[in-house]
Amino acid sequence: MSKLTSKRITRRGFLGGVAMAGVAGAGLMQAGCASGDSGGSGSSATVEGGTLNISLASSPAYLDPAKYTGVYESQIINNVCDTVVQYSMDLSEIVPALATEWTVSEDGATYTFTLRDDVVFQAGEYQDGRAMTAEDIKYSLERSANDSAMNRLDMLDHCNVISDTEIECVLTSPNSSFLTALTDAGNAIVPQEEVEGWGDSFGEHLVGTGPFRMVQFTRDQQTELARNDAYWGEKPNLDGVIFKVITDATQSANALFTGDVDMVTDLKGESLQTVQGDSNYVVDQMDGLNIAYIYMNMVNGPTADQRVRKAILMAVNREDLIAAGYPYGGASEATLPLPKGSWGYDAAVEDTVPVYDPEGARELLAEAGYPDGFSLKYYTSNTTQRLDVATVFQQQLKENLNVDVEINTNDWGAFSEIAAAGQADIYAMGWSWYPDPYFFLNKLFASSEIGALGNGAGFNDPEVDDLLQQALEVTDQDARADLYKQALAKIVEKDPMLVYATEEVCTGLTQGVQGYVQRADQLVYVVNSEVNMSKSA
Amino acid sequence: MAKTILKRVLQAIPVLFVVITATFILTRMVPGDPAITMLGPQASPDAVAELREQLGLNEPMWKQYIDYLLGVLQGDFGWSTSYNGDVMPLILSRLPATLSITMTGLIIAALVGIPIGVESALHQNSILDYVFMVVALVGVSMPIFWLGLMLVLTFSVNLGLLPAMGMGTFSNGVWDVVSHMILPVFCLATIPAATLARISRSSMLDTIGTDYIKSLRSRGIKETLVIWKHAFKNALPPIVTVLGLQIASAFTGAILTETIFSWPGLGTLIVNAVNGRDYSLIQGTVLFTAVVFVVINLVVDIIYAVINPRVSYEGGGQN
Repeated sequence: MSKLTSKRITRRGFLGGVAMAGVAGAGLMQAGCASGDSGGSGSSATVEGGTLNISLASSPAYLDPAKYTGVYESQIINNVCDTVVQYSMDLSEIVPALATEWTVSEDGATYTFTLRDDVVFQAGEYQDGRAMTAEDIKYSLERSANDSAMNRLDMLDHCNVISDTEIECVLTSPNSSFLTALTDAGNAIVPQEEVEGWGDSFGEHLVGTGPFRMVQFTRDQQTELARNDAYWGEKPNLDGVIFKVITDATQSANALFTGDVDMVTDLKGESLQTVQGDSNYVVDQMDGLNIAYIYMNMVNGPTADQRVRKAILMAVNREDLIAAGYPYGGASEATLPLPKGSWGYDAAVEDTVPVYDPEGARELLAEAGYPDGFSLKYYTSNTTQRLDVATVFQQQLKENLNVDVEINTNDWGAFSEIAAAGQADIYAMGWSWYPDPYFFLNKLFASSEIGALGNGAGFNDPEVDDLLQQALEVTDQDARADLYKQALAKIVEKDPMLVYATEEVCTGLTQGVQGYVQRADQLVYVVNSEVNMSKSA
Repeated sequence: MAKTILKRVLQAIPVLFVVITATFILTRMVPGDPAITMLGPQASPDAVAELREQLGLNEPMWKQYIDYLLGVLQGDFGWSTSYNGDVMPLILSRLPATLSITMTGLIIAALVGIPIGVESALHQNSILDYVFMVVALVGVSMPIFWLGLMLVLTFSVNLGLLPAMGMGTFSNGVWDVVSHMILPVFCLATIPAATLARISRSSMLDTIGTDYIKSLRSRGIKETLVIWKHAFKNALPPIVTVLGLQIASAFTGAILTETIFSWPGLGTLIVNAVNGRDYSLIQGTVLFTAVVFVVINLVVDIIYAVINPRVSYEGGGQN
């Protein structure tokens, strides 16, 4: 990903919809300790009280749900606020949160939710902890749909309040990704009085209905949360949580060693190795919900010819790209344009991806009319990691196909403009989003996305478009998964991109941290319907 | 003297004008659209266009420039998009944190570096001189980032004596504040101390070799007086110049040091401003730093006149 600095880079997008150029990893394939309870022994009795210190690799700036941009901000929002529905911790299904149940109209365009009747907001400056009702859902969701620049709910047309505990959400057109969008911290439910009372500084005084309330936000230092005693769910074990900003990766590991933090999110590079090497600490690793890839121009230049694209796929050894991009580990090999953690993933399609075969690649290229190679312009963002991967790609194409690759690295903004405009022969980045395949397959391969960064290569296949559209209109998740699997197979048949890695979500923990559950989307839930973290001395 | 100061202040105006103009142009030459940067790669083109409009980025460049210039003249340095506040109060709110470590670091650097340099000069070619100068060479050559991490590894991780990061608060006691400052201050003091030691040594060597010092000694004047009252005073101008430069570059050092130690000062502000393509904040911090440079230069010049009467700014040169 790479936008901004390397920190922002990495995880910038994600929930808010971010594509990361560099990011990491896919699915729930579990490596290392994998998910599940981790941290300390796990066998001791739950400890109540204490404050959990968690490091964040970037400094949160926008904590107003409608304005947040990075996953490090959503970590805080998710522990202060609730969403209407949420993903289960293993990301396999949507489960109740503020809504206890919901129905979808036959045309798939209207969702009706039944809400909990025991939810109150945390007391704030402009309200004293009043009950949360359907009016608040309407306000928050319409605010996200209409007033937020982040486009996290652009499928919503309007909401109709039926009663205090019932609400109907009407979409602009049938869109099954609606429930997934509702799980985003950007669509968290907030009280109108506080939003309007604080105005632009609402984020610094965030109020929601979640397990913790914000006590103090100190920009570039820390955000302090305390238990919300009026929380509707299980009483949080912890007295509080402090999110500390530690932007330097080495220092985040040091903070774990010195006890400044109990938990390090986004552990990577050499620090990952350092923490792994110390048996006093636990490293939770699992494939993230992301892919790193090299996308080839489908419209212009030599790569418009599928034989050329296939030859390129066959000429590159993924293991070498991963070794270059992730010298300290933290990534696993990926081949499909959908992370393994997504419920639309189909392992059977992996076999249809061309394997490394330089000899065959040369023959194919000769057949395509380029026996002596050609030259290509390769664009990527200017991070060391992206450049290292590009260099190995360049070497292998030269060696195996006599293709000259000219590497162009740019700042994220400039890179994304070039890539989106279809001006690159090849562009390399990462993509990270929700478990719903819509956020990968539609965004990367639907013809309607041509001109946006996702489909800057100009992938255009009516059959694929048709499958993707159907999958958006059907509401049953299993039926949708089948359609996405078909679309995935059709996409891979066209050899559009070289997917090479999925970055892992790596979290470092002290032995005292109990009940932490790692998620492929890298979100940290301290307390929700499935978890209630605690900390022993 | 008052006339000199006024003259120098007036001379600073064109300098600051050039700084404002250059910063304005440079920030806009850096690739990356602030709107795209703020909204993330998935933002729709409509949302980006809307934000550009809000930020005034659709105005012609000359108009943005004139607006900014007029604002600065009226004391309005713009609105920080990433911090959601007026630029100047933001900078001023971060200044104490930065000054607390940079100035402490420089005072310590001067107190340690200058005496070491003078001692080395007085014992030229002795073991002591060699040891001091090798240490100073190492100090000058040390990358500040590496030094910071090594300090943390040694004093925080391995020995557990000092906090690895963050800023203390007085509500937790004075030691909390002091202990958090030690490593960043050490980090910031090392290079200036080494530089000052080297310049003090060479400047003192030049001075004590002069005829008038020899004649003072031949008249039997007490050695301490000769050294500190006469020789050192004459050796001071280059030391003051270097000290002035070190103050200015301490702000640069603060960027790295604050990043390592999660210190919430100007350094982290600048880093976040650049990362967020926060034009107003970048311009504000650069302009602020430029003013600091100009003021320090002025102060150094005035100190020159005080410590060395041969320097006169009024008479049009030395006499």
